[in-house]
Amino acid sequence: MIGVLAALAVGSPPEAETAAVVHEGPAEHLLDHVVDVRYGDLLVGPFNLGPTKHLVFFALAALVVLVIIRLALRSYKQGVPSGLGAAVEALVVYVRDEIAEKNIGPEGRQFTPLLLSFFFFILVAALLGLMPFSATATGNLSVTLGLAFLSFLAMQWAGITKFGLVHHFAGMVPPGLPAWLLPIMIPVEILGMFSKPFALMIRLFANMLAGHMVITTLLMLIPLMASINTFFGLTMIPISLGLGLFIMMLELLVAFIQAYIFTLLTSIFIGMAAHPAH
Amino acid sequence: MPTDPKALAYFAAGIGAGLTIMGGAAGIGRLAAAALEGIARQPNAAGDIRGAMIVAAGLIEGVTFFSLIVAILLAIK
Repeated sequence: MIGVLAALAVGSPPEAETAAVVHEGPAEHLLDHVVDVRYGDLLVGPFNLGPTKHLVFFALAALVVLVIIRLALRSYKQGVPSGLGAAVEALVVYVRDEIAEKNIGPEGRQFTPLLLSFFFFILVAALLGLMPFSATATGNLSVTLGLAFLSFLAMQWAGITKFGLVHHFAGMVPPGLPAWLLPIMIPVEILGMFSKPFALMIRLFANMLAGHMVITTLLMLIPLMASINTFFGLTMIPISLGLGLFIMMLELLVAFIQAYIFTLLTSIFIGMAAHPAH
Repeated sequence: MPTDPKALAYFAAGIGAGLTIMGGAAGIGRLAAAALEGIARQPNAAGDIRGAMIVAAGLIEGVTFFSLIVAILLAIK
């Protein structure tokens, strides 16, 4: 759309140039709303440690989680919480009983803090991203890579502390396997070991990114239609706002569901590492 | 044939996104049908079935988003 305006401002360019300029417009304008914005430069060696929008909201989400938990702890009087504490306790007990203990078994208590951290952080980061002028921290591939890497470490930790370094990897192939199957099974198992956190990473990233892109696209239809005809633009406003509102509500649901799925799958994988089926 | 070499990429992105949603919606539709039938047969298992349905829907959507990312990459680059 900006390309259309630029073409109009320049004058009357030839046909091919207008077409190419219009092509560049929508994709970049869409991306402008979902990609990072660097706020300052802080060059340390080969790295640029300047804060970016995603980093700021990443830290803000972590801070909000800490503040909420502190406030919830403060509301405990004689072992009975009230208000915020009751809500947080409901979620914590749900994660501990339904997710950690059901999937990991008796060692579930050890991994409950990690699972709770995942759950609350992903939820708060997603909810923060729905506010105006903010960005979803988990909509950045680096952030979800970090979370998936922690999940991977947890899987290996569960297996290695229980069985020892060698037995954990040896237990990946079923016992009693004919020797000629080993060259097939070992790469398959190693690939499976890496593909599980990879899928976690892409799933969370794509869910957060796609939701915001859809909302941005719907809202961008208004100026796009208005550039063709002002009346089209005016009639587009209630349609886009209505659909955008609906997608926003869906995003709320998706925030909860994605946090739950990430936590659930992590606990299932940890359970698979701690209790290999074979 | 279009003269702009990037036109084919945009075309492919559009068709790819459409095919992606066909596969995803078909899978989740079958899942929802089976879940609803299960709840209709045994209403007191509704909670468990609902939980399993949400998990399975999330996993299927995850796979759908894999190919959606490929389509978006085609449209952007």
